[in-house]
Amino acid sequence: METRRTGEETIIRTEGVRYEYTRRDEEGNIEGTTIAVDGVDMTVRRGEFIAILGHNGSGKSTLAKHFNALLYPTEGVVWVTGCDTRDDARLWDIRAHAGMVFQNPDNQIIGQVVEEDVGFGPENLGVPTPEIWERVEESLRAVGMLEYRKASPNHLSGGQKQRVSIAGVIAMHPDCIILDEPTAMLDPVGRKDVIRAARALNDVERITIILITHYMEEVVYADRVFVMDRGRVEMSGTPREIFSQVTRLQSLRLTVPQATLMAHALREGGMPLPEGILTRQELVEELRRLMPHTSEGGD
Amino acid sequence: MSIRLEHVSYIYDADTEMAHAALEDVDLEIADGSFIGLIGHTGSGKSTLIQHLNGLLTPTAGRVLVDGEDIAGKKYDRRALRAHVGLVFQYPEHQLFEETCLADVCFGPKNLRLSQTEAEERARRALQQVGLDEQYYKASPFELSGGQKRRVAIAGVLAMDPRVLILDEPTAGLDPSGRAEILTLIAGLHREMGITVILVSHSMEDVADYCGRLIVMNHGRVAWDGTPAEVFRHYQALEEIGLAAPEVTYIMRELAAAGIPVDSEATKLDEAVNSILKLWRKGC
Amino acid sequence: MLKDITLGQYYQTDSVLHRLDPRVKLAGTFLYILSLFIVADARGYVVAFVFLALCVGLSQVPLRFIFRGMRSIYFLLALTITFNLFLTPGEEIWRFHFLAITREGARTASLMGIRLIFLITGSSLMTFTTTPNQLTDGLERLLRPLRLFHVPVHEIAMMMSIALRFIPILMEETDKIMKAQIARGADFESGSIMQRARALVPLLVPLFISAFRRANDLALAMEARCYHGGEGRTKMKPLKYAGRDLGAYGILAGYLLCCIVLGRWIG
Repeated sequence: METRRTGEETIIRTEGVRYEYTRRDEEGNIEGTTIAVDGVDMTVRRGEFIAILGHNGSGKSTLAKHFNALLYPTEGVVWVTGCDTRDDARLWDIRAHAGMVFQNPDNQIIGQVVEEDVGFGPENLGVPTPEIWERVEESLRAVGMLEYRKASPNHLSGGQKQRVSIAGVIAMHPDCIILDEPTAMLDPVGRKDVIRAARALNDVERITIILITHYMEEVVYADRVFVMDRGRVEMSGTPREIFSQVTRLQSLRLTVPQATLMAHALREGGMPLPEGILTRQELVEELRRLMPHTSEGGD
Repeated sequence: MSIRLEHVSYIYDADTEMAHAALEDVDLEIADGSFIGLIGHTGSGKSTLIQHLNGLLTPTAGRVLVDGEDIAGKKYDRRALRAHVGLVFQYPEHQLFEETCLADVCFGPKNLRLSQTEAEERARRALQQVGLDEQYYKASPFELSGGQKRRVAIAGVLAMDPRVLILDEPTAGLDPSGRAEILTLIAGLHREMGITVILVSHSMEDVADYCGRLIVMNHGRVAWDGTPAEVFRHYQALEEIGLAAPEVTYIMRELAAAGIPVDSEATKLDEAVNSILKLWRKGC
Repeated sequence: MLKDITLGQYYQTDSVLHRLDPRVKLAGTFLYILSLFIVADARGYVVAFVFLALCVGLSQVPLRFIFRGMRSIYFLLALTITFNLFLTPGEEIWRFHFLAITREGARTASLMGIRLIFLITGSSLMTFTTTPNQLTDGLERLLRPLRLFHVPVHEIAMMMSIALRFIPILMEETDKIMKAQIARGADFESGSIMQRARALVPLLVPLFISAFRRANDLALAMEARCYHGGEGRTKMKPLKYAGRDLGAYGILAGYLLCCIVLGRWIG
């Protein structure tokens, strides 16, 4: 792998991206056009952990599909590691650079055996056989699924299947992984495992992560958050900046993490708590400063 | 309508080497008009349990009694039972099949041998209950948004006029507002029509907010059964079986442990907030 | 009900048969089926039985599994035997009103029955010992010459492989939808044929919609992982013959020769 630094290098850039599709009735007559993405400018730098929030139908998944040339903008341009996604000659490069994990764990595993599925991407890229084996092993290890390499995907839990899908993407040696609501169909344990795997890839391997979700707890650790509504980026900033605007988020059909919500309610009750509390620890810390203690107990 | 489970066990793939018990010696009583939360990690036996309540599965051992009658009995009318005990599966929108929403909701009532007019009347009432706008009644269910589709699917069960409504993760895959809307809808049905509700959920916050009683399943057995405060008192043991307490409970426990005399048993956000504010105002 | 179908299911263990190249097993299955049509008498069947029994023994697949796979063909078996038993003309040995059994009928019926059982056991032994992926790989390689005639061999193999992967998922889905509709009072089990056919609509429509949605998702996922047909593709597990494969070909040839000799010259 080449040298990897965090910071300046741009991985994905969009400029004025707009995506429309035409709705047709049963006879195929045009009923109208729907604008799914409406003028999005976004820059993602190498090594960042980006979260995109938005309610169902806000255009976040449509936007995500532009990042690896599964969709092309009606207007505007998307660059992935400097290539315009509409450049057909670079199509396979772009898709290998920006890997994608989808929502439904069952509908993206092609192989009958875990390791064969992880090898699918490298096979398509024409990687020599011995190197495919190396890549499969390192990818499964990175998501903690190495011991299941010979298992059938049908016998795995949802969270395990999603981690296999992530491994399948890592095996293509991408610069960036786009996770399109990877946890929407999982139980809490599976959700935690998938997010932990994504964070580890970001921390250890410095792989850029773009996480699309509507679970607020998953967003707390992101470097930057974009909130989408009706195809536009309505808010952007650090998780703290975003989650300090509780009412605004609620009007966008979203919510905030429980600790933030509780802090918000306490502030409305008159307590002088600071804005932008994100975690349980932060809230407990602040409350301990403000609240009267009993003589016994405590630390 | 009371449901009682007596020593119910259920074994999948009995007499093969893949045989495994999904339920083991479950004893439960479901009182009329209650709002029960059923929690447990994936594979703990929740889904198997709820399929026993309307006779989709028959216990390998033990009995399920509805109003005192064994529903596995030869003469028992299980079709009538299914009208009384409505079951909404996970992702219920995946069972929609008719050309219009109204026709789809009519499917249940028609299976109960009601006339077209009666069926339609019930369907309209059910669609009204789930809050679907009338302009969509004649629309194809496949043109609706995810949240709307789910409402139509729930209406499909409501139109059977059930006394007990069981919902398997009715909010799965929805965005926060969608989740809140469905839960409000269910709470309304419980409050206004007195329907007994059994809510299967992975969200501890949701069950703490809405349910009066929680049943925790683990390895096919009932691990705990009690009010949210009673159950979440065992938060450490819950964590060991892949569950947790609501975030609020943790915050209150940590505050109490730090010597701040708040109500450490609070499980709902407003309870917790009130307890803290009361104490703070006293201290000020 | 839906769980009975073991045909096409892999039994995981590490036997000699499991390790054989799929091409050997495909060829072997084909030759075995062929041999069943060459041999014509009891001796031939004894040889075929011994060969099959040895293979089953080598495969380490429990007999239970093999017999369970047989369940799905009970009907076909009964039908074949009945037809042969009663409809073969010849020397009558038993009669009840219009039903008559002839000596020839009894003979053909039993031979056909045995042949069918051997045939199914032989081919399910292949699927028990070969992962569907190896199977499609093997087929792809064996059929490669057809590419000269513009047959899209790779694409066909890929399609088969995907179909096999989704069979258990769609079965589970069928079960779920069925239960959901039963919960809404649907009845799949009683009524006339017409009524039953109509009762399937609430099952089939959602099932097709789901299958299309899955197909669509899968196509997208494959594209995202740079799938663009067989061109320029490498293999994680390329097929390579080992010594045991050549040995297996030798044994197969010996077996076939034995059958031909028995069937043609001695018999």
